[in-house]
Amino acid sequence: MPDHTNHGMQCNEFDSLLSDALDGVLSRAALDRFQAHARSCQACGALFAEVEAGRNWLKDLEEAEPPASLVTNILASTTGVDTQRLRSAAPTRQPRISWLEHVQAALLEPIWAMVRQPRFAMSFGMAFFALSVGLTVAGVKPADLRQVSLRPSALRHAYYNTQARVVRYVDNVRAVYEVQAALAGIKRNVRPAEPGPAKPTKERKNDTSQQPEQKQERNYSQTGEQLILASAHRGPCIGDCDLPVGSVTTYRRFV
Amino acid sequence: MEDVQVVAMLVRRCIAGDAAAWEEIVQSYNRRIYNLCYRFAGSADDAQDLTQEVFIKMYRTLSSYDHTKGAFVTWVTTITRNLLVDHFRKTKQDRMTDSMDTAASEHEDAQPLSEQIPDLSAPPDTRVRQREVSETVHAALGKLSPELREAVILRDLQDMDYREIATVLKVPEGTVKSRINRGRAELARLLQRTYRQVM
Repeated sequence: MPDHTNHGMQCNEFDSLLSDALDGVLSRAALDRFQAHARSCQACGALFAEVEAGRNWLKDLEEAEPPASLVTNILASTTGVDTQRLRSAAPTRQPRISWLEHVQAALLEPIWAMVRQPRFAMSFGMAFFALSVGLTVAGVKPADLRQVSLRPSALRHAYYNTQARVVRYVDNVRAVYEVQAALAGIKRNVRPAEPGPAKPTKERKNDTSQQPEQKQERNYSQTGEQLILASAHRGPCIGDCDLPVGSVTTYRRFV
Repeated sequence: MEDVQVVAMLVRRCIAGDAAAWEEIVQSYNRRIYNLCYRFAGSADDAQDLTQEVFIKMYRTLSSYDHTKGAFVTWVTTITRNLLVDHFRKTKQDRMTDSMDTAASEHEDAQPLSEQIPDLSAPPDTRVRQREVSETVHAALGKLSPELREAVILRDLQDMDYREIATVLKVPEGTVKSRINRGRAELARLLQRTYRQVM
């Protein structure tokens, strides 16, 4: 800018007063000198017009609207808190939790979490299986349990019934074993005489094991052409010992 | 804009860990800082990122603010301006590449600004026209040199006084006034040329 003096003002002085003139803070006398210089100096006059135009353009510039998420992002990146208050003016009320739900959350949830573990589930399954097999073998039916009466008299009745059943069972088993032992003795007696000295055979009394007799029977079947004599041996017997030589059928009573 | 005592109290509460006080500061200054960043950087995305950076830096250095040394808005604007300068330096290479891409058209007396302006005589709606004018001025502002641009923005868009601007830019008030006037004049010339070519 040429440094000319017009109306007592140089161009550099005009330049320094330009902002104040536009802001309207010049005194009346300084403003008169300023305006006179602007009219007389073409360069300064053009500069003043451009500066004023530029300021007016900027004055019309609208304020930019920040994104809605800006404040939330700033708070999240500074305090690390994503404030719900910014997202919704009315905060949502927390639903009331009853004491039962508190207990459920405090006690049942940890137990249920433990039960859901595969190790515990497998153990529980095995225990249930063993129990059901045991009950089935013992003859216990779930349908019977519904009819169980817990009155003292009923309990006494059930106790005596069970006791009588056990006694009968033992007696039956004893009878069966005695009959089987008698049959084994008969079979031994009808065996034909073998050449050579016969081995002394011991009489078995109250023999509850049938194994030796079974072995002898197997031996008999291997020599099927030998005669079977229809003579019965009066071995040890209990009660009525006139048992026939033929087959004997016994009925077990477990119930 | 601000009551010094109120702001000083807010800052003390923030330093003490009061999240509500910090939120109040963010609510009060986010618009101002966003606009400063947007007008200087030119892009809404960059402005959003820069605004977040400004507040992060503010949050970390809040204890260094001394209300006896100056207004809080001056301190905030100084932080913003320093980050904008850093951003300008970082993106200088990108801008040079962009300008090389568009250099041919500019040298052929093309109309870099008018290309961004739709036909101004077409839209009858005043509001639409106003928005287009704003976009044109914004684009012209981006054509100014960073020194002139920041001075003009701080004065005409942020309404800061010369002393505050001098504090932020760390230059004498006379230099501030000179840059503001040169910036305004340059802007007017750019827009005058643009509209003359469009009309």
